[in-house]
Amino acid sequence: MGGELNITRLPTPSPPSLETSDSYDIHRSQHTPLIIDNGATTLRYGFSSSTTPRFGPNVIAKYKERKNNKPLLLFGEGIDSEGGAKSQAKTPWEGDVLLNFDALENALDYAFVKLGIDTPSVDHPVLMTERLSSPLHSRALTSELMFELYSVPSLAYCVDSVMSFYHNNLPKTSSPFTSDGLVISFNTSSTSVIPVLDGKGIMNYSQRIPWGGSQATEYLLKLVQLKYPNFPTRVTSTQTSWMLQNLCEFATDYPSLLKKLKDPLNLRASERIVQFPFTLPVVEEKSEEDLARIAEKRKEQGRKLQEMAAKNRLEKLMQKESDLENLLTLRAARETEGRREWMNMLQAEGLESEAALETTIKKLESDLRRVRKKEAEDEDTMQEEPTFPLIDVPDADLDEEGLKEKKKQKLMKAGFDARMRARREKEREREEREADERRDMEARESDLSGWANKLRKDHEGIMNKMKGRARRRNELSDRKSAAAQARMKNIASLAADDRVSKKRRKGGGEDMFGADDADWAIYRQIVIFGKLDSNTAAGSSDEEEDMNQLRAIEEKLLAHDPSFTPEHTHASISSQRSALLSAFRPQYEEGDLEGRSRIHLNVERWRVCEAWFSPAMAGVDSAGLGEVVQNVLARFPERDKGKLVKNVFVTGSPSKLPGLVPRLHEALRPILPPEMPLEVARAADPGVDAWRGMADFAQTAEFQKVSVTQEEYEEWGGERIKRWWGGNWNLADISS
Amino acid sequence: MPPKGSGKKKAINDGTATPQIPSLAEQFSYLHAPRPFKNPNYTKNVNRRAKNLKNVLTQERERERVERERRRQEREEAMEVDEERREELNTEDDMPFYTSIEAPPSVLPPRRYCDITGLEAPYTEPITGLRYHDKSVYELIKSLSSSAAKDYLAARGVNPILK
Repeated sequence: MGGELNITRLPTPSPPSLETSDSYDIHRSQHTPLIIDNGATTLRYGFSSSTTPRFGPNVIAKYKERKNNKPLLLFGEGIDSEGGAKSQAKTPWEGDVLLNFDALENALDYAFVKLGIDTPSVDHPVLMTERLSSPLHSRALTSELMFELYSVPSLAYCVDSVMSFYHNNLPKTSSPFTSDGLVISFNTSSTSVIPVLDGKGIMNYSQRIPWGGSQATEYLLKLVQLKYPNFPTRVTSTQTSWMLQNLCEFATDYPSLLKKLKDPLNLRASERIVQFPFTLPVVEEKSEEDLARIAEKRKEQGRKLQEMAAKNRLEKLMQKESDLENLLTLRAARETEGRREWMNMLQAEGLESEAALETTIKKLESDLRRVRKKEAEDEDTMQEEPTFPLIDVPDADLDEEGLKEKKKQKLMKAGFDARMRARREKEREREEREADERRDMEARESDLSGWANKLRKDHEGIMNKMKGRARRRNELSDRKSAAAQARMKNIASLAADDRVSKKRRKGGGEDMFGADDADWAIYRQIVIFGKLDSNTAAGSSDEEEDMNQLRAIEEKLLAHDPSFTPEHTHASISSQRSALLSAFRPQYEEGDLEGRSRIHLNVERWRVCEAWFSPAMAGVDSAGLGEVVQNVLARFPERDKGKLVKNVFVTGSPSKLPGLVPRLHEALRPILPPEMPLEVARAADPGVDAWRGMADFAQTAEFQKVSVTQEEYEEWGGERIKRWWGGNWNLADISS
Repeated sequence: MPPKGSGKKKAINDGTATPQIPSLAEQFSYLHAPRPFKNPNYTKNVNRRAKNLKNVLTQERERERVERERRRQEREEAMEVDEERREELNTEDDMPFYTSIEAPPSVLPPRRYCDITGLEAPYTEPITGLRYHDKSVYELIKSLSSSAAKDYLAARGVNPILK
């Protein structure tokens, strides 16, 4: 079917491009701060003097090439260049926690190599991100890595979202940062809400939801796999995250959206189709000559077989004729030889008595006669009535052999009579059927609509009966239904001891069940034909009869009644899919491989994003974003609340999904007093602004004050940091 | 599909030293890139690989508990001090830890969505426990195999053990 289908082709992954290293000369001995945004998905790094960071997917792979045993170390997109490396990919982050420091070391190596650093140590003060309230283990080992392996002069940690907020609310130069706002940070494996008052991030009132971009991707993948269990190709996470980023969005009002989508037309209108790559199977087309040749070959074979069969028959005929000759001579020999010798000769042939000899001779002669008749292509004449002369002869007159003959002839006559009777019955039936059809045709020709109505009523009647039977069968499978209980009563009464009445007991004492044919009818009600599901064909003879009648009626109606279309037949009605399901998941033909490699996304487009506001629908037992914001706000007095909601700030790459800002507005407006101004804003560049904020901050004087120097690290260890407005407040800190 | 790594030609070993063209993957590999900024005297911390997520989180939780105990002690001691000091200490809030920051479970009444289509689901199928939107979806559910039904339930986070 044509029409505009919203088909988007899945993008073919482009081959990775080799990155060049920067020249280091500008920064040599300059002590320019080095900014590293260590994200769970992307690693962004650069010197604070650049406007944009370099970035790459935060994953490394150590791979040994099979062909020539060369070990490889690949980072980020470079992993795509080698197919086998993907399975060895490791990321430093496990969900929300920095755990794999081997991977982190290699990632940082790559970063520093690309920045062109060639001094014996990384001689720049470093500003790095860490997770909100990061576990101290992560921080300790990161500090160790930086100070001991790379020998940085100083190191400071910050929370990425607060820095993005800083960048979007930059104070004028050399004035302190005093903005207020509610920062909502969308990260890879979590979403956090952090209140900022007077330029200070209030970390201990913040909350984190364990649902982020990676969980959303997984959820979408699961939904797609459930919807298309027999999809021809495997759907990978990269493809799913592409679908998430490009086709999904937040619904401003989810319940009303669902009510709108209930209508199959709206469902169809809202869908987006993703076409996956597919391969057409190669159809070998045989040309005309080939087909002709094959037909010829087959005919040849047939002819050869026929010839062989004819030869066989001839041989057998020859054999039979020679046998006949033999036996005839034997019979003639009876006159010449003596009795006993003749009997011996008979037995040598395998015959028991003279009568047997006669019958064999007769058989052979009739066979030969038949064959000769066939060869002469005579018509099949009516079999003459075989004569049974001996039947009428009374028993006393016959000898032993004669008696046997008589019995045989009686049997043969009985068989012959039965055959005649059956033939006569068949003819009678045929005549009756013809008369019926003639009558039917007359009725139809005289009154088409009346005839059609009558048939249609019959049709409905049969379908109703079948439906009733299916329902009864379903009821029987439910243990507590009335039908099942009635069945148990029947069984119990059959098995009861007092089934045989007293009178009968005096007479014979035996159970007379089954003597009367009507008794067996009870089995129709007792036996359940297995727990077959409702789609299997008729299970009992009753159902088969019904199907046959139905089919006959349908054929007649289809042939003669113009208003009875194939859609009214039983087959099409029972296999009809509802309009809703066909809109939800359109079916394609068996051979339409292109169609079958399509994924239709309709409800999923909003369902996946809705999980941010209600993680329970995806199985994560946590409050949603709306509720968490409410919780966070509740801990502040009214005045502060007003300051916070005037500047609700959304940052992080997943916040690029469309529809987020209106949705947040809708979620927050009802829970606030109506006169309180509510403003929701998104970062100018949600992915990179955190890095930019860090770069801005690194150029202020405050940066040095909050960094931990090498000496301080050696004195306190890796876990202690200085507490400042953009960093964490974990256990070990020193109030500034 | 991204190109596989071997885009090179093996140099014929005939004595002439033609340099091998590195394969694509080798070009990306920085294993042999000079890394002078690394401290050669640094011995890898044994601690590094030992911990997995569960251990780290348990450690955090322990620390949080210890810290809370300490705070409570302090506060109790401070109770015996005079009024002004008490107010100061009372405003000291609890330290945020990784585990304490986590959002609590939702207290809102859960919305019921159809497991198959995602629309609203006023009904629940008694045998499998799947939620469905209307009659036709119910027919579909009846025809599902039990493993498919379990998969749908798992997407919602319900894991039936015996069904």
